[in-house]
Amino acid sequence: MKKGYLQISFTWLFAIIAGAFILFLAIFMTSKLIGTEQVALDAKTGKEIGVLLNPVEIGFESAKSTIMTLPVETRINTKCEEDNKFGGQIINLSQKSFGKWTNTDIKVRFINKYIFSENPEGKSFYIFAKPFELGFKVTDLIYMTSSEKEYCFKNAPEDIEEEIEFLNQKNLVTENCREDSVEICFSGSCDIEVNYNSKYVMKDGSKMYFNDDSLMYAAIFSDSGDYECQVKRLMQRVANLALLYEDKANFVSNVGCNSNLNLLKLKNTAESLGSSANLKLVSDTADEINDLNNFAECRLW
Amino acid sequence: MINKRAQLKIQQMVFMLLAVTLFFVLVGMLVLTLKFSGLKESATELEEKNAMLLVTRIANSPEFSCGKSFGNLKTNCIDADKVMMLKTNIDEYDNFWGRETNIEIMKIYPEGDVICTLGNYPDCHIINLQSKEIHIEHSNFVSLCRKDLINGEVYDKCELAKILVSYKDWQEVQE
Repeated sequence: MKKGYLQISFTWLFAIIAGAFILFLAIFMTSKLIGTEQVALDAKTGKEIGVLLNPVEIGFESAKSTIMTLPVETRINTKCEEDNKFGGQIINLSQKSFGKWTNTDIKVRFINKYIFSENPEGKSFYIFAKPFELGFKVTDLIYMTSSEKEYCFKNAPEDIEEEIEFLNQKNLVTENCREDSVEICFSGSCDIEVNYNSKYVMKDGSKMYFNDDSLMYAAIFSDSGDYECQVKRLMQRVANLALLYEDKANFVSNVGCNSNLNLLKLKNTAESLGSSANLKLVSDTADEINDLNNFAECRLW
Repeated sequence: MINKRAQLKIQQMVFMLLAVTLFFVLVGMLVLTLKFSGLKESATELEEKNAMLLVTRIANSPEFSCGKSFGNLKTNCIDADKVMMLKTNIDEYDNFWGRETNIEIMKIYPEGDVICTLGNYPDCHIINLQSKEIHIEHSNFVSLCRKDLINGEVYDKCELAKILVSYKDWQEVQE
């Protein structure tokens, strides 16, 4: 009996092996390239967002709001990073591609930005900026929220209500709130509680202290870990600015311009701030120095 | 004879596979080179955009702005005395306004090219924060104010100036 076997010529065998190899290589490289391209796009968009925040910063205004729309569903992860200088603002983006969120490790870092957000997601984002001052202007704080999420301010003081109305930001409301909106109460209990007299915000069981409205909004729109980190970064900026003004005071004294402000005290108080609970100490020192500056022979700021 | 032909065919197959692999590696390298040159272009574009937007706002940032030192709150007003102090502490502000971003303030009138130092200030024309040459830049007009002493009296002196922000060109960077 003759045994049957499959007769494949060498040409066929070669074609199958080479073909499979080429196909595997092509698929592998394409998937790798798509991944790399997506990572590059996420990093580029992250940097672009940071760059586009430049014009949001304030000149004379007390606050301003703008909307940013992205072409695809995006999750903007913002993170604060501390170091021995100014710390850093990290922006890490994740975008929806073929129904799945991309996962990128690339973090875009900005030293001169302070963004407060709860990692919003969606296509449209509201960006609202307000200056932070401790006697002198320190920087502009940026609050980023998703247009899909509504924040309802209940029983807010008159000036806060007026500011929200003036901003005309559609997801910040004081009346006719949606059922799913995040409630911010200035009296009573709800999602976020603001004690405007004792100057703290209670959110997810954490107390975040503030000294002015700009930090109050910061506490409302961010989580406590990020808030405390950003406060420390802000204090590093205050310390450096205090040193700059101290140097300026010495420099202009050469032309007979005297100010006699204890800016080194402000620098040391700001640098030694452990948490937002001690913010009042820095704020009081800053107020004291600011009063002296207002009546000084030569104003430093 | 059959054995020898089979060996020859195997050799042919090995060479072909090597050639095909090499071809794909070369194509891959070409694609990657093109991709990375595109990335550098994008990075430079972003740095340029940053410089362009920064120049319109930087005069109002606390490290530069006049605040109320020269009377009322002024927009696009730079405090020259403060900037000179910033220049002496510039190491603290490394990459603060962007990667390798350099800032220069140039008096428009009276014109000149004397670089400001603590020794010759205020009789100079250019405050270069990082003391590095500016290549590619964006600029904006500002007023440059300082305190001056004339006949024993302190007064505010403001001059017309231009602020220049230079940015890093990633395409010039070699691998």
